[in-house]
Parts: sequence; C-alpha cells; structure tokens
Amino acid sequence: MWLPFMGLVIGVIIGLLTDIRIPPEYSNYLSIAILAALDTLFGGIRAQLQNIYDEKVFVSGFFFNIVLAASLAFLGVHLGVDLYLAAVFAFGVRLFQNIAVIRRILLTKWTTNGEK
Amino acid sequence: MKKKLKTKRVVLSIVCLILGFMIAYSYRLTESGKSSRQITDSQWEKNLSLRNELNEQREKNRDLQEELNKRQEMVRDFETQLANEAQVYFNLAEDAEKYRMFLGKVKVKGAGVKVTLADGEYNPDEPNINNYLVHEHHVYKVINELYISGASAIAINGQRLSHNSYILCDGPVITVDGYQHPAPFEITAIGEPKVLSAALNITGGIKDQLVNDQIIFSLQEQSDITLDPVVGKK
Repeated sequence: MWLPFMGLVIGVIIGLLTDIRIPPEYSNYLSIAILAALDTLFGGIRAQLQNIYDEKVFVSGFFFNIVLAASLAFLGVHLGVDLYLAAVFAFGVRLFQNIAVIRRILLTKWTTNGEK
Repeated sequence: MKKKLKTKRVVLSIVCLILGFMIAYSYRLTESGKSSRQITDSQWEKNLSLRNELNEQREKNRDLQEELNKRQEMVRDFETQLANEAQVYFNLAEDAEKYRMFLGKVKVKGAGVKVTLADGEYNPDEPNINNYLVHEHHVYKVINELYISGASAIAINGQRLSHNSYILCDGPVITVDGYQHPAPFEITAIGEPKVLSAALNITGGIKDQLVNDQIIFSLQEQSDITLDPVVGKK
C-alpha cells in the first residue's frame, strides 16, 4: 500500500528538482494535463470503490486523457478557439461528479458500519 | 491473486509518480513565473524611474549643450570682433607709419634710384657759364618727374624732402629748406627702380633735356637706399 505513496513523493521530488525550462505558453498544456490526470485518478478511485475497477481502462485512460487534453489545448491555441476551456469544463465537472460519488459511497459505508 | 495485486500497485505507483511529477513541475513553473513576474513588476517600477531620470538628465544635458553652443558662439563673436579691432588698429598703425614716412619723420629704407647731376665740363667756346651749370629748375624737373612716377621719398645730397620743402637758386649753390648744397647734386628716390629709371630715360624726357643743357646726368638703380628723416629747417 505504501508503494503508490512512495511513487507520488518521488514524483514530487523529481518535479521540484527538475531544472528544465519550458516556454510559458506551454504551461497551459501542463495544467490541462494535470486536470485530466486528476480526473482519471479520482475516476479510478471511484471505480475501485464501486468494484468495477479495470486496470487497463484506468492506465490507458490516464495517459490518453492527458495526451488528449494537451492536444486539444494545442489545437485550440492554433485555431484561435479556446478549446482548453472545453477540457477544463469537462474534466472539472467529471472531477466533481467523481468526488461526489466517492463521498456518497464512503458515507453509505460509514453509516452501514455505524448501524452494525 | 497476490501477483496481480503487486502489478496493480506497481502500475498505480507509476501513475502516481507521473502525477506527482506533473503537479510539482507545474507548481514550480507557476511559482517561478509568478516570482519572475513580481521581480519584473518591481523592476518595471525601477526601470521607469531610472528611465525618467535618464530622460531628465538627457534633457538637462541638451539644454546645457545648447547653452554651451550659445556661449561658444558668443566667444567666437568676441574673437572675430577682437580680430577686426586688431586689424583696424594694425591698419591704423600701418597708415600712421606710412604717413610718417611720407612726412619724412622716420628713416626710410628700400629700393630706388640715385640720380647725379653734375655741372658740365668747362667749355671755353661757351661764353655764358650758366649754360652748363646745374640750375634749380633742373633739380625741380628731376624731382617732379620722380614724384610723378611714384617715388615715395626723395632726398637731395642726403637731405630729405618733405611736402613743404623749397628749393632756391642761390648763386653757385642751391638752398634746400635753408641748407645750401653745391654741385654735384645727388638725388636719391625710393620707389620702384624700374619705373623711376624708365620715366627718367623716356625719349625726349628729363634725361634728354638735361643732357641738352650740357649737364652730366647719371642714373643708378639701387636695391637698398636709406633716407634719413627730415632735419629741422633753418
């Protein structure tokens, strides 16, 4: 159970130590990608709690969503349409939904446990 | 089942690693951008004030430069004025010197001619001795001719003539300004030697007339003649 946390900590450390500079206009893509990653992560947690978790779907969704969000933002910049807003909106809504579902599941679990 | 759980955790940790990396990197990026922007904000303020100061200094410099140019112009005006005044004074001094020279107040030096008039040889056939003596009108003629041809100073036997000199016939001698001079008369004139000698030598001119009057006339061009100033009149 400690392995994912270890991975998270190592990733944060690497990210803080990395000294690669990217142009500021690309930081938008990174933010979108983070949003997508967070969305996928919470989706995975929800699926786990709902017992419909599939590893392949989770991993592929994680990377595919990141790439898709970034490329959508890229396309939006080049077309002059704020397409990254669509990604932000979609991922944001889904993020809230996923967190709400997780909260409900945890609540029901807690109440059923309390009733016991 | 256990193996499957382990691979699941490995995959999950890789996913977490990537997520953590991305979040941390983005955080760092945003942080650095913000800080750099803050720095640029304060720098902008500083830049603005420095630029304003620079502009002020430039303006001041330009004003000072203009003033300097103006002052230099004034100095140049003064200088030209001084030069003009110096020129004027120089001209005045030159004129004064020239007039002094004409008046015979100073010693004069220069190229010129020397004319010597001597009495003719004693001629027993000639009853009248006056026919071969040098008279004052001969001297007049020579002097007038010299003055006409541009002589600036003339002396007779070393006595300088001035604008109001007089020449008198006084028996065997002539009197110039009260001083008596016997023959032969040596008339020295300062001027252009070529012009003076040509004027005297002209055919039918002074020389021919004097020679007709039995006078021994000799003309000499000299490159360096010094004439003393006018002596007091008697």
